[in-house]
Amino acid sequence: MKVAYWPGCVSRGFTPELHGSMAAVAPRLDLELIELDRANCCGAGVIAEHNQELVDTLNARTFAMAQQTGVQMMNICSTCQGAQSECQQRLDADPDYRAMINSHLEPEGLTYERGGREWTNKNLLWLLVEDIGLDALQEKVVRPLEGLRVAPFYGCYIVRPTGRLGYDEFPERDFYLDQVIEALGATTVDYAGSHKCCGFPVITMARATSLRQAGRHLADAIDAGGDCLVTPCPLCHLNLDLQQPEAEKYVERGLGIPVLHLPQLLGLALGLEPGELGMDKHVVRTREVQRKVAELVAA
Amino acid sequence: MPHHDVLVIGAGLAGMRAALAAAEGGATVGIVSKLHPVRSHSNAAQGGINAALNPEDSWESHAFDTVKGSDYLGDQNAIEIMCREAPEEILHLEHLGTTFHRNDGGMLGTRAFGGASAARTYYVADITGQAILHVLYEQLMKHQEVRRYEEFFVTALVQDDSGNVAGAVTRNLRDGAMELFHAKQVILATGGNGQVYDPTTNALVCTGDGIALAYRIGAPLMDMEMVQYHPTTLAGNGLLITEGARGEGAHLYNAEGERFMEKYAPNKMELASRDVVSRAEQIEIDEGRGFEDGTVHLDITKVPRKRIHEALREIVMIARDFAGVDITREPVPVKPGNHYVMGGIKTDTDGHTPVSGLYAAGETACVSVHGGNRLGANSLLDTLVFGRRAGARAAREAKAMVMPSASRAQLEHEKSAIEAIVGRERTGRRVSELHAELGEIMDKNVAVFRDEDGLGEALEVVKRLQEEAKTVATDDKGTIFNQDVLGALELGFMLDNAEAIVMGALERKESRGAQYRTDFPERNDDDWLRHITVTHNGSDGEVPELAYSDVTLTQWQPEARTY
Amino acid sequence: MSFDLKVRRYDPESGESAYWQDIQVELGPERSVLDAILKFKADTDNSLGIRCSCQAAICGSCGVRINGQSRLACNTQLGVASEEGRSKDGTIVVEPMGNMPVLKDLIVDMDAVHWKKIQRVVPWLLPEGEPPEREYVVPAESMIDITQSMACIQCGACVSACLSMEVDPEFVGPAALAKAYRFVGDPRDSQTEERLRDLAEDPHGIYDCTHCFACIEVCPKDVAPMSQIMRLRRRASGDYGIKDSNNGYGHEKAFVDIVRKYGTLHESQLLPRSYADGSLVKSQVRPDSLKQLAEGLPTVINGLRSGKVSPVKAIWHKKLPDQDQVRRIYHEVESRGERIELNLYIVGDEAEGDEWGPDAGAEAPAMGDAAEVATGPEAGTEQGAAVQ
Repeated sequence: MKVAYWPGCVSRGFTPELHGSMAAVAPRLDLELIELDRANCCGAGVIAEHNQELVDTLNARTFAMAQQTGVQMMNICSTCQGAQSECQQRLDADPDYRAMINSHLEPEGLTYERGGREWTNKNLLWLLVEDIGLDALQEKVVRPLEGLRVAPFYGCYIVRPTGRLGYDEFPERDFYLDQVIEALGATTVDYAGSHKCCGFPVITMARATSLRQAGRHLADAIDAGGDCLVTPCPLCHLNLDLQQPEAEKYVERGLGIPVLHLPQLLGLALGLEPGELGMDKHVVRTREVQRKVAELVAA
Repeated sequence: MPHHDVLVIGAGLAGMRAALAAAEGGATVGIVSKLHPVRSHSNAAQGGINAALNPEDSWESHAFDTVKGSDYLGDQNAIEIMCREAPEEILHLEHLGTTFHRNDGGMLGTRAFGGASAARTYYVADITGQAILHVLYEQLMKHQEVRRYEEFFVTALVQDDSGNVAGAVTRNLRDGAMELFHAKQVILATGGNGQVYDPTTNALVCTGDGIALAYRIGAPLMDMEMVQYHPTTLAGNGLLITEGARGEGAHLYNAEGERFMEKYAPNKMELASRDVVSRAEQIEIDEGRGFEDGTVHLDITKVPRKRIHEALREIVMIARDFAGVDITREPVPVKPGNHYVMGGIKTDTDGHTPVSGLYAAGETACVSVHGGNRLGANSLLDTLVFGRRAGARAAREAKAMVMPSASRAQLEHEKSAIEAIVGRERTGRRVSELHAELGEIMDKNVAVFRDEDGLGEALEVVKRLQEEAKTVATDDKGTIFNQDVLGALELGFMLDNAEAIVMGALERKESRGAQYRTDFPERNDDDWLRHITVTHNGSDGEVPELAYSDVTLTQWQPEARTY
Repeated sequence: MSFDLKVRRYDPESGESAYWQDIQVELGPERSVLDAILKFKADTDNSLGIRCSCQAAICGSCGVRINGQSRLACNTQLGVASEEGRSKDGTIVVEPMGNMPVLKDLIVDMDAVHWKKIQRVVPWLLPEGEPPEREYVVPAESMIDITQSMACIQCGACVSACLSMEVDPEFVGPAALAKAYRFVGDPRDSQTEERLRDLAEDPHGIYDCTHCFACIEVCPKDVAPMSQIMRLRRRASGDYGIKDSNNGYGHEKAFVDIVRKYGTLHESQLLPRSYADGSLVKSQVRPDSLKQLAEGLPTVINGLRSGKVSPVKAIWHKKLPDQDQVRRIYHEVESRGERIELNLYIVGDEAEGDEWGPDAGAEAPAMGDAAEVATGPEAGTEQGAAVQ
């Protein structure tokens, strides 16, 4: 399957292991990635907060570039998914508004055509379940992650608001990460924080709120017996992994639970080695997860 | 033991408006409500509020429409006051922050409503009541000098030895504590009594508390037989679909696809007054031209979608959530359903009742501005104009007097009455069963069409239920939020209301406004152009007394009523 | 049909802790969870406490959590609640709302939390001087615009679901901030800037919202409280240039400017810029921000040590190949001098519900009616300055 691939900013910035692991795992999923390397930032909700017309134009530009490839668009970031879906909803709702936005793209020779059901922008997680299929995914597994207890962390932007995110048609989107974890042979950890907020958006504005959120979810996952978390959102990853030592101060306890990117978890099950997946580039060491996976191979 | 110059009971539009006016008049004010003020049923007034504010319109025209709508039973002096003061009241609300719809020029804009000869209904989408209610509550939050008692229930009014109202006995729902509230003047503003019927558009709290409280100390109730059935309520649960829908251009059809209002009101069609439209629907349904579920269809799809979105959003949600109908695409089944009581506690044009120191305003009261039939969008107006007048008058009176003495005996009496209910073993039926039987008989026999036999049967049922109600017990024996004992007290209130409604309906041997007697199908001005009052003398078992009072005519003599 | 409910009971007078009660009710699937509870009360046990009144999603009394989701019991259908994914084996779990103390069974103390916060935002109109003889003349759209926040019925579902409030009980919160927008967006109010400054400077104000959409998801009246909070931020920073001590202004400006410059986000510039009202000029770092910068330092060190951030990458960021196009878009939009907002609450997104076809959008409303043009006193001028 060929997709117009939007990696987002953070996967090429502060979480390069995400970009790398996606590239590594794509062939194993028979995904051909046409990277949109001229596309711009989705705005992550912040540009929307500043100026709607601006953010809608910027994302229409990305969509238009993706549409030129003639295939569906895929992203690997919950925040990109949410921010872009918000813009797409407005663009699709009103033809006059869309035309006005498109007029900004004209000098570059780009046009966004109403997406609807014909053209979609899906996070890797959605694509895995809806286009590749859990059965097909399961067949590709060469190293079932038996005994690995994984706590799913979805990221707000991919779960709310459901009305905008296609949940009417795909209500199961609320559980995809759980389903993927199970399909890879691992065990899903049920804990309070899976669909809550990592706190990242306010890290510079309300540090205590931000890190208390991250810390609490991490603690809940540990208490529920999780070996690691997995997330389809690199921004969540920043608060959950990069900031984890800081979050400890706000929940007043030790944490130390590794946080994997979705492609890393996929990669492990599909036979890639932790090193190929950038698993040494985490702030919270992933040694325990690596050891468990190594034992699986030995067993 | 709280002391206030003015104690307002009920915190919907009439109550809050009265409290603010009394405070403005320099009185110390307490306002008691059995639910948080913003939960009040004034919320449910969707369509708007009438006023002849437009320079091309006139208060006389508004007054005449109201008189005609009332089937000439409204008191014209009171109607004149309401219609004259309407523009001022709208502007006052606008200045306080109500987000009334604007026209292209940024001025207040209007929509059409039933029974009106001009588009004079001011509105906030279809949440007008809610929008105004919340604005008045904002003012209560601002004016902290009005002391709020939220989630306090009044079990009885208290009088001094000379019969002046001197306060009320309250029960704090949060902890069950009962107290005597002292007041120089008491204003009842507890809304209507729709829960006497089933189904009804009214909220669960509309149990006619104020009407019964006043009735129990001998205040006369007037026009109680005048119970409005709204033409467009949802079939299953009685929820309201605003008249604003028809104001925006929606039509009514029977099962034969006929726009049947052509037969009944060829000029005003769907926008004839409510009694006329409800009767027309009921005839269509009774004569077999309704749909299988006993409904007719309201077709809103003719209204442009953008306009529906902007002006009828609430009913889009109501029809979607409660009837599974997308009104932008398909008609919604409706039928006439209990909605409003034109009658209530008899008052003068300052809201004062014949009991010294006792006032009533809003649906609780009968001034009478609605007579036999209330026009859509006149109820909000009634609450505000007469709420304000009652509050202002009460403040004036309070200034000139000392606090009357209220004995604690009443408090002790109420305490033991409640203890008796809570302590009672269950021997008979549950409150819910009695309530259900009441609602059913009222909707069957005291509805759009009535006759002697049906009304007689209803009165018997009410009498029997009154006896049975003395035996009800509660599951909840606690004090914190004991909603069970509250329900038992409300049942008693509802039965008092029902008694007065049925007695009035039996007595009025003619057809006028909402009262249509199949055994007396004509309006009879010679004998019945007068109000009926029902008065209860308090002592148990006594038969309530019926009396008459004249209808005040100023400039409009009764004429045949056509739309 | 028979439905199984699991209801959280709590009797403060019993001395016992809260417990679950299993309830079975026979009702049609189109009936509401409130209907089921009322039926149970009517037939079996009327000591179960729940506030309710209108049964039509207007009075806002019956906010509860159903299957973990905050909503009104009266407009949640039994059939839907028992079949949704959140329900385990078709059982409908009913609990009191979150973030507020429970008084009894499903009744929470809204005064202690919800109403206290509403009171916090000065929830009444503050016009300038005496009112006019007739009405205030204001643009028609401005009234429709704030009708979205006026539609709030104060049910508390958003407060119950708020994920910021869960960790910071002092957060002013979604309902109160939506209420604040109702006045900020009202052209009749004279305290717009004061209100915005107050809520921007409050450490638990508009910049304490983590943007999690929980309030939007649960609101039964489509008030979209978070969207109102974002509009408060937009007005505070865009229209009034309020440089708050929470770095809200700085964060927004930094982000927007970085994308203007590079096309993609350069994270390592975001922090220092955020702490300096969006600029990188060192002298602009406010003294109180130095502490915040220092707090961020261990994270930077951790990032470098883990190898995920190289020192070069921390400093150098590549521009997009067609970055001039992004700059041109910025310029075109910002030089307009007015902000255009398409509010789907007003125009509806009905085109989405239609059959997908070439002319599916044809009956959608015209944008001329739909888009709101910002009317702030300095709308555009702030932004105009920012382009330079």
